[in-house]
Amino acid sequence: MNEFITVYSAETMRRLRSRIFIVGVLLGALGIGLIIKLPAYMDTVMSQADRVVLAGDPALVSQAVPLLRKDYHIAGTMPGKTVVAPSDLADTKRISAIILLRRSGRTMTVAVYARDPGNVTVSSLRRDLLPLSLQIATGLSRTDLGKAMKLPITVRATNSKFGTAAQANDARIIAYIMLFSLYILIMINSQLIMSSVAEEKTSRIAEMLVASVNPSALLSGKIAASATLAIVQMIIWIAIGFLLGGHPGAPPTLDSAESSHATTFSLSSVSGADLAGFAAFFLLGYLQVSTMFAAVGSLVNRTEDLGALAGPLVIPIVAAFLIAMTALGAPNTPVVIIASFIPLIAPFVMFARIVVSDVPSWQIVLSLAINIAATYGIAVLAGKIYRVGMLLYGRPPKLSQIWSVIRS
Amino acid sequence: MLQVQHVRKEFGAVRAVRDVSFSIATGSTFGLLGPNGAGKTTTMRMIVGIYIPDAGSIQWKGMPIDGRMRRRFGYLPEERGLYGRMDVREQIAFFGRLHGLVEPDVSARTDRWIENLQLTEYAKRPCAELSKGNQQKVQIACAAVHNPELLVLDEPFTGLDPVNADMLLATLRELKRNGTTLVLSSHQMWQLEQLCDHFCIITGGENRASGTLAQLRGAWTTRVIRIEPASAAVRGILDRVPGARSLPGEEGDLLYEVPAGTALPEILRDLVTVEAVTRFEAIEPSLHDIYVHTIEGAA
Repeated sequence: MNEFITVYSAETMRRLRSRIFIVGVLLGALGIGLIIKLPAYMDTVMSQADRVVLAGDPALVSQAVPLLRKDYHIAGTMPGKTVVAPSDLADTKRISAIILLRRSGRTMTVAVYARDPGNVTVSSLRRDLLPLSLQIATGLSRTDLGKAMKLPITVRATNSKFGTAAQANDARIIAYIMLFSLYILIMINSQLIMSSVAEEKTSRIAEMLVASVNPSALLSGKIAASATLAIVQMIIWIAIGFLLGGHPGAPPTLDSAESSHATTFSLSSVSGADLAGFAAFFLLGYLQVSTMFAAVGSLVNRTEDLGALAGPLVIPIVAAFLIAMTALGAPNTPVVIIASFIPLIAPFVMFARIVVSDVPSWQIVLSLAINIAATYGIAVLAGKIYRVGMLLYGRPPKLSQIWSVIRS
Repeated sequence: MLQVQHVRKEFGAVRAVRDVSFSIATGSTFGLLGPNGAGKTTTMRMIVGIYIPDAGSIQWKGMPIDGRMRRRFGYLPEERGLYGRMDVREQIAFFGRLHGLVEPDVSARTDRWIENLQLTEYAKRPCAELSKGNQQKVQIACAAVHNPELLVLDEPFTGLDPVNADMLLATLRELKRNGTTLVLSSHQMWQLEQLCDHFCIITGGENRASGTLAQLRGAWTTRVIRIEPASAAVRGILDRVPGARSLPGEEGDLLYEVPAGTALPEILRDLVTVEAVTRFEAIEPSLHDIYVHTIEGAA
């Protein structure tokens, strides 16, 4: 235990002070800052293209202003103006278009004089002005028309763990964010472990280390340190995200009727049991992948070879992430159910299923059991490869050599 | 006592160690000699538990070597390596902690080793910035900071300048005085001859000769004597000694190889009757001579 703690604390401090960790945290923070601030900045830039002036029938102009405000920035109105000349637009460079509203009996006509016609979305303009057009065509009062257009629709869950569509959508958003975090953390930190092991081998300190400490303690100390730093890294990023006043962006939603809801969500949609599931499967997934990467790191003789060896290891992780994305929408299809038991893939897929559906308890227990056993198996195999690989110099070992080491 | 009995280690088709046996008394210093590829490093790795022998056994104080015991050992491998970005002090302390030292002991011992090896001015510098010789001194400190019961050093003198080699020699003597059992391999025979009590020469993964220097010399079949002056009378006496043959000597002296059992006092008595002998020296074979002779014999 003492060996483990010594390796763990030394590895943690070494990596904390390493340039790659500091740069990684800073770049991550910068990325988060960009993700949070960029949309607002882009909105400012894009809003200049949406700056319009309304002209024409004064009654129509006054009624159209609140309807168009949703999609346009109304820079001004010109009530009573019935003819628009090119010079009207040229005078004001900050305006992208003049929308001329006219009425003829029970028909409303709209003409758009745009600096760049490509910026005018006719369908959105038509959708925004539809209530006004219908009001003129039908002669209904604004209140009656408003009632008629608000068709009451109720969504009731019949076979779901969620009471409402909003809760289900919240859960999917949170599951998406957690899965994405899991994916990023595993990908980045597993490769860092691999580099760290390869560095110890190529710097030739490995022999002193394995003579001083049990290779299993060495390997587990390194992996635990890496997991700790991954969590620290994530906490720092989340804290920066909150400090910058952002909220998670909206992933693609599966229920288009709820699309306007997607920019915010409530954490109450994810239960404590879901979070416990995330923690358990995060740990298993992290251990499985990072142990595998560490073992492979011990086989390289030059750090330049790491990329070639890491490639095949990344494939199951990417596959797991993609299947988990599918699981968010279809958690009980046969392929997804089977995938939620397979080591390396299950940590992603089973967690996704737990959050968005009612997974039978026996499936969760079985998946945990299979993956705990697989984690142990991977650790034993990786330990053997690590022990031998760390002292193998010269040509990379052949598969037959690795196999004989595993069998010994 | 360290007992290595008939150990064998194979790597696929390569037999690195075929059959090596020796015993090392606690507190003594042992030299493991052999040409490159003889199996020295593999044997040392088996002693410190990095490799498990395919056959045979290794025992320390009558017990098979286990993980707890290994923490009381120290090992300096032939391949040098340190954490480049870790500073000297931290590096030595890290290895101390790996071997079970705790504060304040680990700090005190680390500082003592830094001082003894004259590394004080480098204590806070990253190891990558040190010269090769100083890096090697740091590694030696890492291997010995916990005051090991058994310290195994594979080619410890390689890369050290004469001053630092002398410093290491003094350090190893100090460890020996403190009761540490030392196992060394080196191609610098004179240093081993100064330091070691027992030797084992291996080649092709097998023992070829072992024992104290006196015992190794005892197995030597001839002796060399040096005599002055190089007169005809002296030459006449020596030529009559059964089995003697003349060797090329320096100007003014004679070198003769005689069988090991020859009674040298009788030769001296005969010489002084015919000449005023100013020098009569029996030259013992050096470790280097024994090593070369053994390796050539094995080949």
